[in-house]
Amino acid sequence: MSVAGRIGGLLLQHGFVAVLVVVFIVFAVFTDTFFTFGNIVDMLHAMSPLMVISAGLALVVMAGKLDISVGSVAYVAASCGTLLMLRLGWPPVPALLAALSVGAALGAINGLIVVVLRVNPLITTLGTMIAYRGVGLQLTNAEVARLPEGVRVLGNWSVGPVFGDTLIALAIVIAVHLLHRRTVFGRQLTAIGNGEDVARRIGMPVDWLVFAAFVFSGVLAAVGGVLDTLQIGAISAYLGKGLEFNAVAVIVVGGISLFGGRGAILSGVVLGALVFEMIRNGLNHVGANPYAYRLVSGAVIFAAMYADALKSGVRGAAARLLTRRDA
Amino acid sequence: MTQAAYLRMEGLSKAYPGVVALRGARLEARRGEAVALMGANGAGKSTLMNVLGGVTLPDEGSVTIDGAAVHLRSPREALAHGIAFVHQELAMLPSMTVAENVFADGFPTRFGVVDSARMHREATTLLARLGCNLPTGRLVETLGPGDRQMVEIARALRRAPRIMIFDEPTSSLTSREKARLFDIVQGLKRDNVAIIYITHFVDEIFEICERVTVMRNGATVADRAIAQTSPADVVHLMLGEADSAERLADASTGPGPVVLDVANLSGGLLRDINLTVSAGEVVGLWGLLGSGRTELVRALIGLDPIESGTLRWRADSELQPITPANLHRIAGVVTEDRRGEGLLLPLTTRANLSLTSLRSLLYAFGVIDRGKEERLATDMIGQMHIKVSGSGQTVGTLSGGNQQKVVVGRWLATNPRLFLLDEPTRGLDVGAKTEILKLTAALAHAGAAVLVISSEPEELLRICDRYLVMSRGRITAQLPGTANRTDLLAAVAAAPTPSRAA
Repeated sequence: MSVAGRIGGLLLQHGFVAVLVVVFIVFAVFTDTFFTFGNIVDMLHAMSPLMVISAGLALVVMAGKLDISVGSVAYVAASCGTLLMLRLGWPPVPALLAALSVGAALGAINGLIVVVLRVNPLITTLGTMIAYRGVGLQLTNAEVARLPEGVRVLGNWSVGPVFGDTLIALAIVIAVHLLHRRTVFGRQLTAIGNGEDVARRIGMPVDWLVFAAFVFSGVLAAVGGVLDTLQIGAISAYLGKGLEFNAVAVIVVGGISLFGGRGAILSGVVLGALVFEMIRNGLNHVGANPYAYRLVSGAVIFAAMYADALKSGVRGAAARLLTRRDA
Repeated sequence: MTQAAYLRMEGLSKAYPGVVALRGARLEARRGEAVALMGANGAGKSTLMNVLGGVTLPDEGSVTIDGAAVHLRSPREALAHGIAFVHQELAMLPSMTVAENVFADGFPTRFGVVDSARMHREATTLLARLGCNLPTGRLVETLGPGDRQMVEIARALRRAPRIMIFDEPTSSLTSREKARLFDIVQGLKRDNVAIIYITHFVDEIFEICERVTVMRNGATVADRAIAQTSPADVVHLMLGEADSAERLADASTGPGPVVLDVANLSGGLLRDINLTVSAGEVVGLWGLLGSGRTELVRALIGLDPIESGTLRWRADSELQPITPANLHRIAGVVTEDRRGEGLLLPLTTRANLSLTSLRSLLYAFGVIDRGKEERLATDMIGQMHIKVSGSGQTVGTLSGGNQQKVVVGRWLATNPRLFLLDEPTRGLDVGAKTEILKLTAALAHAGAAVLVISSEPEELLRICDRYLVMSRGRITAQLPGTANRTDLLAAVAAAPTPSRAA
């Protein structure tokens, strides 16, 4: 193989690393404020909720499914927790547990629709994305609700120089990574992503596993929503809006195949989230038009999607379709 | 042979909407013996094995293992009864490692975490038993078909099965890998495992099986000791007795010029294919399933890659080279898979018929002229006797035979000079079959060159002007249009020289 071909192959396999390095160098060279300790800590802080939500979504994607309701789940769960504290005077810990339970329940609804009613996951969660947000808007009357004073300070909690939520998010992502890599559950999800029919024939409880993945996704979306709320200090009708697409983008750019069964959660989610956070943060530092962020992000997603298709999917999928005749 | 059967499947029936897959099928297997399960395409072997594998629930019938009735409601229950399945389309997880694939039906754990070390150690041992030293950390997607087969067998062996099903295990193996597989089967027999061996290659069963069970149309038609039968017998049993059917067309009186010329074509299973098809003749491509018939048609139209060889096509009175992709564009291709080839079931008969000729139906501004479209559809419906209430009837509500006519009719509208028909009558009732065969003969009569594949010799005998016999990817014989049924059967039974005298 030629040198150029070799480099091309490397870029294809680790496309997101290349993107990351390029983005980093560009901003580090063009601004003096980007590559500073304080800014890096800020970036890690800002991307924490997204990392947690993406980790949950990654489990669903590993099984070859999709959950785009995570933003709405985050909103509803965080709203429930906040309102329980504000209106019913619940202490923070039970309110937190309630928020997580709401996430689990909403995830379970997604899972049931997919598994029992056999509705395509994209359609299912598109529907619940809209419906859950409606529920949330009704609960909060679409109003801004500020967290109680005692809880709000948690948003600035830090350990040494690093924000507490960064540590929580990293711990969760590592835990999900181990869940994927080291447990039977994780291996079985990967197997489903490799081929649902094959997994079924081998005798895996495919329906239960998919259901469980959606519940996980719901719980972690709730955690992400809580972290987001703590950062802002309040819930608003916009909480989590568009977050589902950011999470999908993180996963794709992080090299986790939307076809299922491929990718590493820890490196994928952390580096994927970092790419988008760096673009957002860096464009601020160069003083770019704030709307430029969307254009640049879109371009990055396309580049990553193309690499993903080249790497694993399109040809293989087409060949499989053509040979699946005598089934 | 007096030993009682370990596995006994009796009176099994299974019907799907519109199709009866099994009608009272039975099968017996004994420990330490291999029983061959034979049958033509669609005979019901796969359904019967899916019942045993817990994938399909039968409507009727019983399964007993070691004298006790069992109910197999899921693959897990089948596993629990010691039944292991080596699937034809390998059940592999490509992005996972060899070890993970071997243990996919039950990962070993320690403290709730997958015990990787043990998994790799045991996978290595299992593979070593198969005479195979694959690195267990390799991803399965990087393995060839032979090695994947070994991984699949290792997975089956892990549970120390008492009944093992091999579903066409040799179709993708090289001869060395095949020899290794046969050794494994012999070893399993020594370990007192009952083996069910499904294949289309008649010679193989004389090499490694003790008994043979033959199925036809969902029913078991014979169960014999291998020593008391011969390859020709087995082929006869698989294909059944001739239905008395007369020829639908006289053998053509001297075909026209050669339309398609294929020289030294190789690729995939195919080796050194040479053939010509002339205008006005029907050439029958005859061979058992797995002989490469379908693969040949797929290679001709570019669906499978070609390694070497040339195709030439008559254009302007001269044979000129042509690519498979271009041949696909000008040839009329009809396969057994009516949906796969693009029949749009929710649309009307009219819309389906006009699909390939929309350009000739245009009106101003690229709008389709509905009048012209209607005339085309009515023409075709009349010409081919398609039974519809009107050209507006939805194709999905037509019978199989009429759907197939729509497919042919669609091509007819573009007036191609070559038709490639792969089992065009598959799954049709007798009347519809005759109609399609008549239509095939009429195509040739009108001057088209026709290459037709069928699993049923009776069908070919009714329309063909010439036969090409295929076996293991080669054309092994050519028979004239005067050949009879005995000649055709002898040609396939003789082709894969049995390695043991029968």
